[in-house]
Amino acid sequence: MPDANDLIKKFSELKTLPHVAIKVAQLSSDDNSTMQDFEEIIKLDPVLVTRLLRLVNSPYFGLVQKIESISKAVVFTGMKQLRNLVAVEALRNMFKGDDEEFSARKLWLHSATVAILAEMIAKRIFGQDGEDVFLAGIIHDIGLIVENQVAGEELRAACKAFRAGEGNLIDCERAMLGTDHAEVGYLLAKDWGLPPEVLSSIRSHHLSGQKKSLSSVGSILQLAEFMAAKMKYWPIPGPLEPLPADLARHVKNMMANYKIIIRDLPGEMAKAKELYEADAD
Amino acid sequence: MSGEPTFESIFEDLLDSGEQLRPFLVVVESVLPEAALALQDAAGSLFFGGRPLSLSLAERERLVAGARMRPDFVSGRAEDGSCCYARLIPNLNAVLLFAFAGGKEDLLLLPGGSTLLANTLALALLRQEQEILVADKEQALKQIGILKQQHGKLIEDNYRQYRLNQEREKEYAKKLESEIARQTAELREANARLEEISRLKSDFLANMSHELRTPMNAIIGFTELLSETRLDSEQAEYTKTIAQSAASLLALINDILDLAKIESGKLELEHIPFDLGEVVQSICAMFRIPAREKGVAIDCAIGEGVPGRVLGDSVRLRQVLVNLVGNAVKFTDRGRIDILVEMEGGATARPLCRFSVRDTGIGIPADRREAIFDKFTQADGSTTRKYGGTGLGLAICLQLVSLMGGRLVVESEVGKGSTFSFLLPVEAAAAVPVESCAPPMGTAPHPARGGEILLVEDNVVNQRLATILIQREGYQVEVAGDGVEALACLQGRAYDLVLMDVQMPNMDGMTATRKIREIEANPELRQEYAGLRDRKRPQIVIGLTAHARKEDEKACYEAGMDGFLSKPIIKAKLLKLLAEMLP
Repeated sequence: MPDANDLIKKFSELKTLPHVAIKVAQLSSDDNSTMQDFEEIIKLDPVLVTRLLRLVNSPYFGLVQKIESISKAVVFTGMKQLRNLVAVEALRNMFKGDDEEFSARKLWLHSATVAILAEMIAKRIFGQDGEDVFLAGIIHDIGLIVENQVAGEELRAACKAFRAGEGNLIDCERAMLGTDHAEVGYLLAKDWGLPPEVLSSIRSHHLSGQKKSLSSVGSILQLAEFMAAKMKYWPIPGPLEPLPADLARHVKNMMANYKIIIRDLPGEMAKAKELYEADAD
Repeated sequence: MSGEPTFESIFEDLLDSGEQLRPFLVVVESVLPEAALALQDAAGSLFFGGRPLSLSLAERERLVAGARMRPDFVSGRAEDGSCCYARLIPNLNAVLLFAFAGGKEDLLLLPGGSTLLANTLALALLRQEQEILVADKEQALKQIGILKQQHGKLIEDNYRQYRLNQEREKEYAKKLESEIARQTAELREANARLEEISRLKSDFLANMSHELRTPMNAIIGFTELLSETRLDSEQAEYTKTIAQSAASLLALINDILDLAKIESGKLELEHIPFDLGEVVQSICAMFRIPAREKGVAIDCAIGEGVPGRVLGDSVRLRQVLVNLVGNAVKFTDRGRIDILVEMEGGATARPLCRFSVRDTGIGIPADRREAIFDKFTQADGSTTRKYGGTGLGLAICLQLVSLMGGRLVVESEVGKGSTFSFLLPVEAAAAVPVESCAPPMGTAPHPARGGEILLVEDNVVNQRLATILIQREGYQVEVAGDGVEALACLQGRAYDLVLMDVQMPNMDGMTATRKIREIEANPELRQEYAGLRDRKRPQIVIGLTAHARKEDEKACYEAGMDGFLSKPIIKAKLLKLLAEMLP
């Protein structure tokens, strides 16, 4: 039975992650990098340049002057937002394909929803910048994409077992594939040089038993994942894991706040769609 | 998906209905602190406020059913007899029941009572709404806080990057600097190497010229001697040709030597007083005959204010002017040549003097005007064939003039003529009473008085040449092959004069001369030398050298020589010197 590293090895033979994405992720966690370094990388990818300029010129930034140079745009977005933009751009193209047992397209919608929700929670409830949890949300299910690419049949068997109630998804995956998408995603993201907290949140996003601080990336990711799944933004139909008790208690105490987040989510999603996805056509 | 997801649809598992209803009860209680409250949800579950509401089951069911029927208050009686009211709260889907302790009167029957109750309830609902607004506001504040934070971070980050960039730039500049320093050092070294090579080349040329001059010496000397023998006309013609060719070859060698000297920086200019007018006039006189032969007039004019005696190097100035005038004569077939000397720029601190040589000759095309100053180049390749010349003259003039602090320029028009001119700073010398120590050149030496001369020379050809020259003038000559032989000769007998070649094997002329002076200074040693023993005055020693450089001359005097002759030996000069030394 293959293990996670085997899967990743096969995956990278099949489909290389965009060099730009990896490079930008590494740069953004390097204290010695400068905007010039980012510019050098980004200008190699015209699509990315277009998106970056659109992002920085969107009402979200509310700039009076139109920004037309990459370096200026990078200055306004900051490194982490830039990293997220690149990650979205790189990953979206991998989440393609659709079938009854497993829909990568729906998974993308799920990931995007989780990312946006997680960012909202981080910002509005915990007063954090939300850039790391956004990235965690976008990436947390990349393991499923890897499995789908290199072990599609086994993954589908696992999904089927999960739907039939033969255990949670992680256990079903382990039974069929010898590993699970949280582990695979974690190992893959490690190669990208992402922050440790993001890595561990990817690894543990299905582990409800693990004790985490409420404001940690892991907890926020888990909560956002639960909410998104409840909204049916979930590609693999099957029984939902319950929310960990401490998170449930937290939600009960902050009911008004979460009501507002749910109320505002459609607006935020529309905004994100405009920022990250809108194409020129 | 049916409709937008709500908090309730998402977190339904978390919530029993009481969890939703209880907060509302709390709010109503805050508005109606004395009222006894209850809420009944759609499933019939009942939730009570802080004060107990005692209501019979039948009455409660009636009130709830009534309230669900129409969107208004319904009144009834509690068990304690006070009036009880019920009203549906639509967004909770629950009926609120409440009574005021002791309030027996039905407020709904009073004017405005219904409105009062409705307002009270609206207030409670508003308060609950407000809770959301407060949370909303808090969230907005938090987001603003984050934006501020992010903004601060951006600024910080930009500053950090600014610093980083600055450091990188500094490093780059440092690297650049050291790179430049390295390259400069390399260039300097290369330059030094080139200079060294150039110097070596010049040295080589100087040495070569010297080697060439020695046989030239013989050729010229013997040709001169040959021409004085009895020759038929054909032989005389051949001899003349040899003499002319030798003379032009010597001129070329001299030019090369000059150029080599200038280029190796070994040419030193003199700074002694001389008569400027005399120099110019003598040049004019020198070319008068060749010019007249071509039918060209030649004249010189010295402008007002030009000092008579100036400080400088008359030899080099003469060389330049002779070259320019020689060229003018060469390239002019009719018209005139003028040598002009005039002051320029008025009475400035450093008076400048313009020297011009103007001709009405063939002129120089504009595109060749720079090339004529190059070595071995003339205005036209055919010029050499037609007019001859080494092609070094102007190059030497250019160098000499710049060495003297001026710049040689040319103005010319093809067919009309050319003017070569240069400006030199002049320094007037104090007028000194004319000493007639140096008779003007060209004056015939007076007839020889006779005397005994020791010729020290290693080259056999030169030995013979000099011997013949000297003997012809009535002197007696004895020959020594080197310094050692010369000393041996002096041991045997006395001579009126020693002609001492400088470069010789075994013992060179310098050493031999120093030896002679040593012996003269030492009375004991002197006794061993018959030639030096009885002299009242020191032995006269004249140096002979092929190196015509200043430092060679200086070295001769330093070694104790009384005079100096450069080779090849020019008959006139030799005779003049002998006449002076042996009056």
